[in-house]
Amino acid sequence: MDPLVTTQFLNIAFGIATLAVLALGLAIVFGLLGVLNIAHGELVMAGAYAAWIVQSAGLPYALAVPLAMLACGLLGWLIEAGLIRPLYARPFDTLLATWGLSLLLRKTAEAIWGLGYKSVALPLPGTVDVLGAAYPRYRLMLIVLCLAGVAALAAWFAKSGAGTRIKAMVANPDLAQAVGIRTGRLARNAFVAGCALAGLGGVMVAPLTPVHPFMGIDYILESFFVLVVGGLGSVAGLVAGAGIIGGLGSLVSAVADRTAGYTAVLVIAILFLWLRPRGLLARA
Amino acid sequence: MSARFEFRGLVAGYGGTTILRGIAGAVAAGEVLFVLGRNGVGKSTLMKALMGFLPCREGAVRLDGREIGGLAPPERRRAGITYCPQERAVFDELSVADNLFLTAPPGAAARLAPLAERFPILARRREQRAGTLSGGEKKILSFVRGAIEDHSLVLLDEPTEGVQAENIERMEAVVREQCAAGTAFVVVEQNLAMAERLADRWLVLDKGQVVAEGSGRPERAAIIAHIQV
Amino acid sequence: MGSWLAHSAAVAVVLVLLPLGLGDFAAYQLALYFLYAIAALGVGLCWGSAGFLPLGQAMFVGIGGYLSGLALIQFKGSALLLVLLPLAALAPGLLAFGLGLILFRGRRETGPYFALITLALSLLAFQIANGWNSVTGGFNGLKGIPGLPGLDDFSHAYWISAAALAVVIAATSWLSKAPAGVLWRAVAQNERRVAFLGFDVTLTKAAVFGLSGVLGGIAGVLYAPQQNLVTPQLVGFTLSAELVIWAAVGGRGSLYGPILGTILIGVLTAELRNTFAYWEVLLAIIFIVVVRWAPQGLVGFALPIVERLRPRPRGPAREAPARVLPGGGAAVAFEGIAASAGPVQILDGLTLAVDHPGITCLIGPNGAGKTSCFNLLTGELPAAAGSVRFAGRAITGLPPTGVTRLGIARKFQIPNVFPGLSVAENLNLALWGARARARDLLKLRLHRWSSPLLRELSERYPFLAEGRNRAGDLSHGERQILELAMALAMEPRLLLLDEPCAGLSPEETHRVIDVIRWARRRLGLAIVIIEHDMSLVKELADRVLVLHQGKLLAAGSIAEIQADPAVRAVYAGGTK
Repeated sequence: MDPLVTTQFLNIAFGIATLAVLALGLAIVFGLLGVLNIAHGELVMAGAYAAWIVQSAGLPYALAVPLAMLACGLLGWLIEAGLIRPLYARPFDTLLATWGLSLLLRKTAEAIWGLGYKSVALPLPGTVDVLGAAYPRYRLMLIVLCLAGVAALAAWFAKSGAGTRIKAMVANPDLAQAVGIRTGRLARNAFVAGCALAGLGGVMVAPLTPVHPFMGIDYILESFFVLVVGGLGSVAGLVAGAGIIGGLGSLVSAVADRTAGYTAVLVIAILFLWLRPRGLLARA
Repeated sequence: MSARFEFRGLVAGYGGTTILRGIAGAVAAGEVLFVLGRNGVGKSTLMKALMGFLPCREGAVRLDGREIGGLAPPERRRAGITYCPQERAVFDELSVADNLFLTAPPGAAARLAPLAERFPILARRREQRAGTLSGGEKKILSFVRGAIEDHSLVLLDEPTEGVQAENIERMEAVVREQCAAGTAFVVVEQNLAMAERLADRWLVLDKGQVVAEGSGRPERAAIIAHIQV
Repeated sequence: MGSWLAHSAAVAVVLVLLPLGLGDFAAYQLALYFLYAIAALGVGLCWGSAGFLPLGQAMFVGIGGYLSGLALIQFKGSALLLVLLPLAALAPGLLAFGLGLILFRGRRETGPYFALITLALSLLAFQIANGWNSVTGGFNGLKGIPGLPGLDDFSHAYWISAAALAVVIAATSWLSKAPAGVLWRAVAQNERRVAFLGFDVTLTKAAVFGLSGVLGGIAGVLYAPQQNLVTPQLVGFTLSAELVIWAAVGGRGSLYGPILGTILIGVLTAELRNTFAYWEVLLAIIFIVVVRWAPQGLVGFALPIVERLRPRPRGPAREAPARVLPGGGAAVAFEGIAASAGPVQILDGLTLAVDHPGITCLIGPNGAGKTSCFNLLTGELPAAAGSVRFAGRAITGLPPTGVTRLGIARKFQIPNVFPGLSVAENLNLALWGARARARDLLKLRLHRWSSPLLRELSERYPFLAEGRNRAGDLSHGERQILELAMALAMEPRLLLLDEPCAGLSPEETHRVIDVIRWARRRLGLAIVIIEHDMSLVKELADRVLVLHQGKLLAAGSIAEIQADPAVRAVYAGGTK
C-alpha cells in the first residue's frame, strides 16, 4: 500500500479511537444517566493540565493518569452533589448550571495559568514503521490502547454485576430500588467514574494538542455529537458515533481542510439532532 | 394474632390528590392477606406505599415490630420485604438469569432449582432478554425472582395477570409452601377465585378506604357487591 | 392601555436622563450594551415566556450585522437603505420563524435538543462567516462600514440605540400584555393543554422564535454602522452564551430582566475585566447561583412587588362572539380501530358509536383501553388500522388542535391547567382558543371577554370570578373544576372527561356531578366520561360502554350492563 494512504488510514483510525475514549465519559454521564453535563469538556481540560503539571515537575508521565483521574473524580463528586442531584429532572437547569460551571472552570484555569498555550512533550517520541509508513509511536500506542480500553469497558459493562445493576437502574429505576439497588448512590458513582474518564482523556490527548483553558469546548461538542449520531446507552452506538463523526471529520479534513472537516461534522450533527435525535443505535 | 406486618391509618396520594384515606391491615407469619376491590380504588397505590415508593402523609408501617414507615424502598428490601409490582415487573433489557440473580441473596440458586422445575420456561429462556417474554411469562419471572429472595414478607401486585391457569395453580402451591415456612404474603388481586383458595385474611377497598374485611376464606356473596359493576 | 403608555413614557424618560449623568464616553459605551440588551430580550422572550432556550441568538445578530454592513457599503448614502436596513433586520426573523416551523413541528417537548441545534447552527454560522472571504471578509470581518447617513456622529450612537431600545420595549411589553403574551406563557407551562384549547402550538412557538430573531436582527443592523466593523465573533458561540447569561442573571421571566442584566453585567465587565482578574470567575459563580437558587434572576426579587402593583384590567366586560362550529353534529364512530404502544396491542379491532346527546360512561378493567380511546379520538395515538369519524367527517390522525376546532373538548384525569397563570387568564385562553382569530390576539380588549356560560359557572363556583389568583395556588378540587370550566367555556359539542372526580372529596364530587348534569342540559352536548366509581356511573350515565382488552365488550343501559354475564365474568376475574 502507498505509505501516504497508510498514514491517512492510520490518522482516521486515530481520530476515531481517541474520540471514542473522549466520548466514553460523556456516554456514561449523558448516555446512561441522562445528565447533560456541559462542563465535561472542562474536565478533559483539567486532565490535560494535570499532565502538563506532572511533566513540568519532572515526574514520570504515567503519574498524570492517577492524578488526573483522582482530581476529576473528586470534581465530579462535588458537581454531582452540588449541581446535578439538586437539579434532577430539570434538564434545562442542569444544562445551564453545568454551562456556568464550564465557564467557571475555564476562567479559573485562565486566572491561574493564563490564556497561553502550554505544550506537553510526547512521552513516547519517535516513529514506528507500519507497512512502509513511518507513524508516530505515541499515536500508534494510543490507537491500540483506546481500542483495547473501549473493548474492555464494553466487556465489563456487558458482564459485570455493577454493569448489570447500572443497566437495571437505567431501564427501570423503580424496580431497581425494589430489588434493593440504592440508585442514588449508584448513579453518583457512575457519574464520578465518567468524570474520571474525562480526566484520563485529557492526559491522553495533552501531548498532541495545545493545552489551554478553552480546549474543553471542542471536546464536549464533538463527544456530544458522537452520542447524538450513534445513539445513547450502548457501546455499539458510541463506536458507530465515533466512527461517523471522527471518520467524517478526519476524512474531509484530509481531502479539503480542517475547517471543511469541522463544518461537515456540524452539518451531520444538526441533521441528526433535527431528524433523528435518538441516533443510529438507540437503546430500545 | 401476633402480626408480622401491620399498617395503620395510611393516608397517601399524588400531588394534591388523596388516594388512600386511612387504611389499616395486618398479616401474621405464614398467612396470606388479600387486598380486593375494583380497579382504581387504590390497591396498587397501597402496595407502593407499603414498599416506600409513595410517602405516607399519615400512618404507621411495622415489620416484626420495627417501624419502617420512613425507609426508602432499597432499605425496606433489606429489612426483609420482597415486592413484585403490577406493571413493569421485570427488567426488559436484562436476561432472565440476570433478572433472577441481579441482587439475589446467598442460596438463591439452590432455592431456584425446585421452582425451575415447576416453571420450565425460565430455564429454557435463561439467557434471553426478559423483554421477549409474554406478559404472563414476565409475571412468572417476577414471582419467581421474589420467591428466591426468601424474605419474611412478600408483596404481590396482581401476580396472575395474563398467567395461564396451570401456572396460577403452581404459583399458589409455591405460596402455600412458603407460608408453611413462615413467610407472610400481601396479595392484590382482581381474581376472586385465587383469594377463595388462598386467603387467611382479606380486605376490600373502595374509594381509598377499607369497606369490608374478614379472616379465613372470603365468602363470594359478602364481597361481590363491592367489586361488581 | 393607560398603564402601557405610562410605562413606555417612564422608560423614555429614564433613557433621556441617563446620558446627562454619565458623560459622552460612557454613553457611547452604553449604546453598544443597549443593542445587546435588545438581542438578550429576544432570549428572554423565548426562554422566560415561551419556555424554549435558544443557545444561538448571536447567529441572528450576526446575520443582521452582515446584511446591514453589506448594504451600507454597497449603497452608501442611498435612499435605498431606508428599505434595505429594515429588511436586513427582518431577514433573521424570517429565518428564525422558518427554523421554528421545521424544528418545532411534531414535537411536543422542546427539550434541550432544540437548544443544542441552535447552538450548532450558531457554530456553523461562525464557520461560514469565517470562511466566506469574498462576502464576509473572512476572519478580519467587514471593515470600514460607514455610519447611518446623517447620523454618523460619535454622539448620535447613544440616541439611536436608546430610541431602538425604547421602541423595542414598548412593542414587546404591548405584546406580552396582549393575549398573544398570555398564550406564550401558556405554551411554556403546558403545550398539551394549549393544543387542546385549539391553538397551533408550533406556529405560536415559531412566531416567538421569529420575533426573537427580529430583535437579534435589529441589534445587528444597528451594530454594524455604530462599530463600523462586523467580524465572525458577532455570530459565534461566545456572544450567544453571553446573551443567555445576561438574560438569566437579570431575570428571564420579565421584560426588564434581560435588559438590566445585559447593561449591568456588560458595564461591570467593561470596567472590571482589566483590573480584577477574577471578575469572570465571579460572574460564572453568580450565574450558577442564579440557575440553582434564583431562576427568576435579579428582577425576581422585585417581582412580588410588581405583581401587587399590577393594575386590574379595567373597563366593562365584553361579550365574546358566539362560537362558530362547522356543521355535522356530534356523533363519534370508531370502525375496527387497532392501536399499539410499543409491543403492546392496546386497541384491538374496536368498533363503537356515540351518536346521541347525553352522557355515555366508558368503563372497563385496567388496561382495557379507555384512555387510549380518548387519545386516539383526539389524534394523540396513531391508529394502526380502522377509521374514526366525528361530525360527519373522517378525522383519523387529525392532531389535537384540529380535533378541538371541530368542537371536541377534553378534560384530563390529572388537572391540566396553567399553574403559573391567573384563573382569569386560564379561562380567557379557553374563550380565545375557540373564538379568536390570530390577529385578535394582539388586542388588549380581549382580556375583558366574557360569556353568559362563564358567568353562570362563576355563580356556581365563586373562585372562578376571583380572577387574579394563580391557578397553581388553587386546591386540587378547584383545579379540577377550573379545567372543567375551561372545557365548558369552549362550548364544545362533544366533551371528553377522564375520571373528572378523581381525588375529590365527597362534597366536591357532588358539585362536579351537578355541573356535568347542568352542562348537558344547558349546552345540549354529548359527554363521554371514563369512570371507575360505579356509584358515579349509576348517577350520571344515560348509556354505558364496557371495554375489555381493547374491544367493546358490551353497550347499553346500566341495568343491561349489570345483567350481562360477560361483564360480570370480567369483573369477578374468574375467566381471564
